[in-house]
Amino acid sequence: MVLVLALGDLHIPHRAPDLPAKFMSMLVPGKIHHILCTGNLCIKEIYDYLKGLCPDLHVTRGEYDEDVHYPETKTLTIGQFKLGLCHGHQVIPWGDLDSLAMLQRQLDVDILVTGHTHQFKAYKHEGGVVINPGSATGAFSSITYDVNPSFVLMDIDGLRVVVYVYELVDGEVKVDKIDFKKTAAPQPAP
Amino acid sequence: MPAAPTGVPLPGSFSPDRISGRWSRFSNLRGVRWRINLRIFPSSSASIDEIRRVAANARRSYASLRRQLLIDPHAPKDGNRSPDLAMDNPLSQNPESTWGRFFRNAELEKAVDQDLSRLYPQDDHYFHTYACQAMLRRILLVWCIRHPECGYKQGMHELLAPLIYVLHVDLNYLSQVRGLHEKYFNDEFDRSDCEVVSNRTLKKVRSWDCGSKFTNFVDDLDPDTRDVLLLSDPYGAEGELGIVLSEKFMEHDAYCMFDGLMNGADGVVAMNQFFYTIPSMGSSTGVPPVIEASSAIYHLLSIVDASLHSHLVELGVEPQYFALRWLRVLFGREFSLIDLLVIWDEMFLSLNDSCTANDEYEYRIMCSPRGAFILAMAVSMLLHVRSSLLATENATSCLKRLLNYPKKVSVEKIIEKARSCQILALEANMLGSSQTGLMMNSSSAVSRTGSQSPKSPIRLMSDSYWEEKWRVLHKEKVIQDGDLNNGGKISGLFETLRTEPYPSASKNINKKKEAHSIAKHSLFDDLSQNVESVSDEVQSISTCQGSPSLDENVRNCLSEFRGEECPRAENFSVLTINTGPNNEGNDPEIESEKSSLTSNSFIRENEDDNGNIDEECNKSYDPVSKKLESCANVESGQHLDAEMKVVTETKVRKSASSRFQWLWRIGNGSFHERKMEKGIIAGTQQPSIIGNEDVGHEKYVNSSSDYSWHGDSAKVEDGDKRMWGTLKKLGQSVLENVQVIESVLQQEPGKDGDILGGDGQSAAMVALKDLRKISIILSEISGRSHMSWSSFYKFMCCFSSFLSLRIIKESQSPA
Repeated sequence: MVLVLALGDLHIPHRAPDLPAKFMSMLVPGKIHHILCTGNLCIKEIYDYLKGLCPDLHVTRGEYDEDVHYPETKTLTIGQFKLGLCHGHQVIPWGDLDSLAMLQRQLDVDILVTGHTHQFKAYKHEGGVVINPGSATGAFSSITYDVNPSFVLMDIDGLRVVVYVYELVDGEVKVDKIDFKKTAAPQPAP
Repeated sequence: MPAAPTGVPLPGSFSPDRISGRWSRFSNLRGVRWRINLRIFPSSSASIDEIRRVAANARRSYASLRRQLLIDPHAPKDGNRSPDLAMDNPLSQNPESTWGRFFRNAELEKAVDQDLSRLYPQDDHYFHTYACQAMLRRILLVWCIRHPECGYKQGMHELLAPLIYVLHVDLNYLSQVRGLHEKYFNDEFDRSDCEVVSNRTLKKVRSWDCGSKFTNFVDDLDPDTRDVLLLSDPYGAEGELGIVLSEKFMEHDAYCMFDGLMNGADGVVAMNQFFYTIPSMGSSTGVPPVIEASSAIYHLLSIVDASLHSHLVELGVEPQYFALRWLRVLFGREFSLIDLLVIWDEMFLSLNDSCTANDEYEYRIMCSPRGAFILAMAVSMLLHVRSSLLATENATSCLKRLLNYPKKVSVEKIIEKARSCQILALEANMLGSSQTGLMMNSSSAVSRTGSQSPKSPIRLMSDSYWEEKWRVLHKEKVIQDGDLNNGGKISGLFETLRTEPYPSASKNINKKKEAHSIAKHSLFDDLSQNVESVSDEVQSISTCQGSPSLDENVRNCLSEFRGEECPRAENFSVLTINTGPNNEGNDPEIESEKSSLTSNSFIRENEDDNGNIDEECNKSYDPVSKKLESCANVESGQHLDAEMKVVTETKVRKSASSRFQWLWRIGNGSFHERKMEKGIIAGTQQPSIIGNEDVGHEKYVNSSSDYSWHGDSAKVEDGDKRMWGTLKKLGQSVLENVQVIESVLQQEPGKDGDILGGDGQSAAMVALKDLRKISIILSEISGRSHMSWSSFYKFMCCFSSFLSLRIIKESQSPA
């Protein structure tokens, strides 16, 4: 029962002042075990805030991040799943599923989390999952109109992952749930 | 009387003796025994089948509880109802959501795990096995979720662990017995290598006779083994679920025992109360039960061993410092596991039912034998280390000794002692409430009973002229003074002094007189019964200086005395003035003037006196001096009022004033080396007056004439004369006694403060006793006689009481 929070593209303070209040009230320390942040925080204060939510924080570099020392991509293993993290502006065309799948194969992960498009997406693709948590603040994007604030919470439990999507629509938090099951990969013969 | 915790007489074949009755059955199966004692199982005379059924039911309920409470949020919800994601997501703040419960349980689990990891590190071969830890965790979680108001508190795991251990031991025993009597335990047909039935030998077939029940088959076993067999028979009542000694259901059984222990099974001692306070059903004193129980330990200790108790109290060792741990885990930390099981055996043998039918108890925990045993155990543990405790000089080392209780102790001895203390505790609890009640009520009761007899004649006479007048005056006075108790009484007193005997007084006077007479009567009541208390006091003071227990008595008397001192003082002065004016019967005007003057001078002098009295009253012997001080303060407060009244007064009796002046002078002269209370002075002056002038008879005659002049009743004149004779005799004996006491006191001016010389002391005692007797007689007389006489008799009473007070003062103050 590992809870992993995935969010990104906050663009604070340039395009948004802060996370929506309803999101802030939901994100309390103690429940979440890992945070995957796709990037574009942009300032250190947001990093500290997320660190306060959960000490295990992973951030990749977005193009507007002020801290230049975040990595471009990151991989980690949680439970039975391998997770990959990348901002996504490096993958062209932006938001294209096939290109992202290429990245997934490249990183060799079961779950790939990317951002940059400020739009929530969750694909099941070739035995893996590609998740875009969207923008947690609903910041302006040149490639997406009508951005709604959203983020993703993954509940990894054995071979099953439940993805909860939290979206702020018209001032109300809407929750959706997607189930993914990982098929046990056949062991390669030595 | 409380029942000693011997075994309840059991129906059936078991004897009521605690040794043989309870223990004869299941003597090797502690788990079963404890479950019987904890009221989970029916009483030990129940049949095996009943026991099995109860066990099965308990297990079923636990299983369903576990399933319900230890939730898995992933578990698919029942049927069609799709979960409301807005509520049921992991980040939901909704307390109803499954995730919310999940997180709360996770927190509980963290707390439980912390404790479990530290459980019995020395016995870890059993307790730290994965299975046992998981079991403990689940049991504690289920219980805590079930009781959210309590939550998990540190120490609960230590209550649970011995229970599981006991069940585990039972299972070991079962396997032992199984090994010994294999052929009974194992049904041949269950074995996989069972041979063809037809090959059975004839003997075996006969042993399994078709019609016979299984129980007959096992008749040739001893009862214990038979019980064990029947308890573990998979084909008995309730089948497998009914196997009482079962490893599969150890968790369920342990949960039942734990629940029974915590809830107390409707008894008095419920362990959960030691962990938290239920605000609704708090104890009568409002302190948490565990604190109350700690103080109950000290209370019991004070009964059993007062010196140790006082030593601990002196050092400032609060009982809850060590008792909290002792009580919360029922001595689990102080003894090894094996010893602890013996202690718990004994503890569970004691019933948990309340022995007190009503609500009169000092300590709730002592109401049941089990609670009393727990306290007694604690006390006996304290007594065991008595010598080392008494040797310590500071609280830290005391606590060190108590918190690191010696390991090598003989548990049997401690238990033995605890048993005797337990009986004491139960008795003390029963008597304690009545005793304290008695002590508290003693003063009020005595005052009530004392006031009964004199009050009734007063009430009967309520229609008298003077009474009415007084009542009117009293109301006025109350309005004027506001609080009669604070200062008005002596001023009222003075008014009485001035106005009493003349019916032709002005309106004011009449009213005031009435007020005063009523006050006087009430005062008299108090005084008559105060005499005894005062005499008690004197006796106790002089004979038992510094003894703490007697201080109690003294204090009681004193408090009682203090409560009525205002009326008493007033009373007394009224009395003196009554007798005073009686002697004169002259021109009221002159008298009034003079008495007003006297009152003025009296007031002034008394103010001086009171200043001095206050000083003196800051002496070492607190109770008496306080009493006198309060009397003096009362008087000083009242003096100011009196001064005001003086001006308004017109009718004052010269006789009164002159008498008072004379009295005052005498008092100043003879015994007024030290400043004394006005009343006492007057009191001492009385005997001197009587002695010196020998006008006792005269006085009485005058008063009688005075009263008859008041027109109360000529018809009682004959009776009066007879009464006068009696009264004269009484007065003379009083005088003699007083003289004895005075001589004694005069002999010992140079003696050390508090204690009179031996001979003088005994003589004084005798004299006081006589005085007391006289006061009793006077009360009785007054109860029966006419009101006017009663007032006079009461004068005698209060006089003697004041005399006694003076004696106390004398004896206490340094010569």
